[in-house]
Amino acid sequence: MKRLEGKIAFVTAAGGAIAGATARLFGAEGAAVACVDIARENVEQTAADIVEAGGRAIPLVCDVTDEDSVKEAVAKTVAEFGGLTTVFNAAAYRDPAAPALEIDVATWRKTLDVNVTGMFIVIQQAIPHMQKAGGGSIVNISSIYGARVAKRRPAYSASKAAVRLLTQSIAVDYAEDNIRCNAILPGPIATSRLLITNNSFEAVAERHRPHLPAGRLGQPEEIARTALFLASDASSFTTGADHFVDGGYNAM
Amino acid sequence: MGLLDGKVAFVTAAGGNIAGATARLFAEEGAAVACADVAEEDVRKTAADIEAAGGRAIAMVCDVTDEDAVKECIARTVAELGPLTTLFNAAAHSEQRFKVADMPVDMWRRTIDVDLTGMFIVCKYAIPEILKAGGGSIVNISSTYGKIAAAERPAYCSAKGGVRMLTKSIAVDYAADNIRCNSILPGPIEGPRMLQRNPSIEAVVARHGQRLHFKRLGQSIEIARTALFLASDESSYTNGADMAVDAGYTAF
Repeated sequence: MKRLEGKIAFVTAAGGAIAGATARLFGAEGAAVACVDIARENVEQTAADIVEAGGRAIPLVCDVTDEDSVKEAVAKTVAEFGGLTTVFNAAAYRDPAAPALEIDVATWRKTLDVNVTGMFIVIQQAIPHMQKAGGGSIVNISSIYGARVAKRRPAYSASKAAVRLLTQSIAVDYAEDNIRCNAILPGPIATSRLLITNNSFEAVAERHRPHLPAGRLGQPEEIARTALFLASDASSFTTGADHFVDGGYNAM
Repeated sequence: MGLLDGKVAFVTAAGGNIAGATARLFAEEGAAVACADVAEEDVRKTAADIEAAGGRAIAMVCDVTDEDAVKECIARTVAELGPLTTLFNAAAHSEQRFKVADMPVDMWRRTIDVDLTGMFIVCKYAIPEILKAGGGSIVNISSTYGKIAAAERPAYCSAKGGVRMLTKSIAVDYAADNIRCNSILPGPIEGPRMLQRNPSIEAVVARHGQRLHFKRLGQSIEIARTALFLASDESSYTNGADMAVDAGYTAF
């Protein structure tokens, strides 16, 4: 028996590595998946992969910071699949690394807007449909840097900490509607994005090594499997919780 | 195909509610399970249930505070079931309510001994066997009260806080050996023990008030499913983490 049979999922940043892996896994586990991203090409690929594997998926181009755009994407999801039960929020802006004095306010605002306000907008539009469906599960991607700061990433760290408390706030306010909301705090994950600012995955693992008991980067699929646990009924008493998937980073 | 095919698990307090459900679920998912408990009749029942359902299990009487007894039980597990890969530590003692100034030192020692030292002893003798198996997963039961304090439970809260840090310590020290170690922090879980202290389950729900956001107690199977996630390769990048399974109790 598939673990998300009958569920309808809205997955943001589904053109990316982590949310792409999650969308594919959700699709393989029986969910109908709305694959949402600001970049058309990547998200079409993710949806095509799911359909090719025998699942149900549609690609949707959507800017999570644009309320109308989110409203429309959610409406299309509901029209196509008949409802909405599951949200995976991963859209994030990778701000340039710099200490506070060297960050312009526009960059700060942009980071908070995508990482937190975008998540708020998606949740706000999704919840009424989840209430209609009798409940559901929301999984939000925070970061280890939402619990322990990274150097020269004040906006990113602040935004990811905000994600944790937004998550708990949603959990507390909508528990009575049978909606659960949890956060995942990934450690360093081997995604192509990392290679924008680093030479190789090995270089990243090496830099983290003294603080990374696993001694390796995580794989997008390892986040996806945690998201599956939280999206499925296997985690039915879990809400408002942080889930570190970080190879032990936060343990030391 | 089960999520724990080929695994051999040692489960303490397997005659009890939570660990009993976990032992049964581990077996359903393909693990051979050594069911350990101080209460002989209860643990025999759990092992018999597993065998009746077509699984593999042995029952053993084991006091986790007794080093020799633990040593012998681990040796017997390996001899009868094969290389040990998985550990579920749930043995705990529930002391009477006292504030620190009123608590007899013997009572403090007893709680720390069962809840924390017992877990240390089981890990101490299990880890060398898990190393021989090439790695594995340890799941320790902490509590909501290992993170926030309950009134008049100083020994229990201290022991359960200790469990979280023992867990992280093992995670950090044995990550290089492919051993993961995580803790679960259950909120109030329905069980027969509860009715020794409370007139009814409804009374327990009422006492926890608005912090119990689902307005119900957790079920032991909900902890078991989380333990399954942590014991299985589904959680391969999760190490040294605390997983609250508490319906938002600690979020609020």
